[in-house]
Amino acid sequence: MKDWIPFVAAPAVIAGCAVPGFANTYLTVEQAQQAIFPGASFDKLNITLTPDQQKNIESRAGVRVPSRALKVWKVRGGGWFIVDEVLGKHEYITYALGLNASGSVRQIEILDYRETYGYEVREASWRQQFVGKTSQAPLKLDGDVRNISGATLSSRHITEGVKRLLATYEVALR
Amino acid sequence: MDTSRIRASLLYRRSNPILLIPQLGLLGLSAGWSSTTAFADEHLFGWVLGAETLPSKHAEAYEFLTLRTGKAEGTYLGWDSETEVEYGFTDQFQASLSLENHYFYNKGVVGPRDALSNTNSFRFGGVVLAGKYRLLSPFKDPVGLALRLEAGYLAHDEVDGLKQTEGYVAPQLILQKNYFDDTLIFDVNGGAEFAWGKRPAEQYPRELALTGGAGVSYRFTSNWYIGVESHIRSEYPLFEFGNHEHTVIFAGPSLHYGSERWWVTLSYGYQIHGTGIDEPADGKTFAEEVRNEIRLKVGLNF
Repeated sequence: MKDWIPFVAAPAVIAGCAVPGFANTYLTVEQAQQAIFPGASFDKLNITLTPDQQKNIESRAGVRVPSRALKVWKVRGGGWFIVDEVLGKHEYITYALGLNASGSVRQIEILDYRETYGYEVREASWRQQFVGKTSQAPLKLDGDVRNISGATLSSRHITEGVKRLLATYEVALR
Repeated sequence: MDTSRIRASLLYRRSNPILLIPQLGLLGLSAGWSSTTAFADEHLFGWVLGAETLPSKHAEAYEFLTLRTGKAEGTYLGWDSETEVEYGFTDQFQASLSLENHYFYNKGVVGPRDALSNTNSFRFGGVVLAGKYRLLSPFKDPVGLALRLEAGYLAHDEVDGLKQTEGYVAPQLILQKNYFDDTLIFDVNGGAEFAWGKRPAEQYPRELALTGGAGVSYRFTSNWYIGVESHIRSEYPLFEFGNHEHTVIFAGPSLHYGSERWWVTLSYGYQIHGTGIDEPADGKTFAEEVRNEIRLKVGLNF
């Protein structure tokens, strides 16, 4: 056997094992709205946090506010719909948070997820943990929110994102 | 120059592990590796490892390609290749199996401190097994902590491909600390390598190497990290700390791109300091080391 063959064969096998990426946009904004508030109508609001509001939110949530511009819809009949992004390991994770008129979590939905692992954050059983949470909830990974092994970064950042949005509700929407 | 002259001209020869596979370039891939490094999971650095592990029942495949070049004289190209598969048995424990190959091109490396035979040949490097156990997660604990153990059989010396029958074990401690929503990552490694069967590449049959490294990398935009890293290696024949052979320190930049199904890392290391027995005290060591190391890693996720 030629000496160079092992050099070529092993990486060639690896290259042949490459698989394409998954489709990773699961819901559009409109689809998420109807998933969380079936049949409802929405009014888009243009809200930009003031620096004081930003600091207040960061103080309440203990989480950095990455952007002062909010993507918020008021639900006719009561409630709020917010689209937000948190850092994944490689890209942003886009999710939607529905709040009841009282400010408690109605539901969350994952819109875009492009990470290598951690697709379990889309599972209903994991998202169900957030239902009913308010800004008073600890929202702590391995506390009142179960961690997903192998997707700890995604689990923590989504949890912190919900905590930040609940504080945003208290400071800017309520 | 025959091998007996080589052996006589060097008091010691270390087992430096960096392999390569030039074919990867042809495939549009790249890879690189180091003998003490059958890596695991997504790597932000070329030489320094992080404390993360693969999730249970997931696998990755890697191709690492390293070019070592720059001796005191002549032309030396040491290409090292590592082809590795890795599997997460639990969320905290992963294991890997890798094959190593080398290509050597030496011409005119005949100085008194780094004499090598003129060579233009491929060599099978060896087989390496590694396991990594994560004790603390860098994403939810104050600091990430992992223990790693590597064991290998090396059929040829990594400096210029002399035939040997070397076995080694290399325990390692890995620390990782993340800041700013996990966008700024510090990694620190420390370990040892106990090797037997170093003859005839080296004068003594067994050798201890102390290894260490540190790196910091920043996610400057989605998918991309840029950082700097440094790694050090000190070798002690016969496992005796009073018997120092050489110490070398490399440092340089690293660039990493990661996506859903694959990632790539390109790193460069420059010998910023080296000292070796029977070598001039000019701040460099070349008997077993080089001036420049370039490493390309590609990982595929399954």
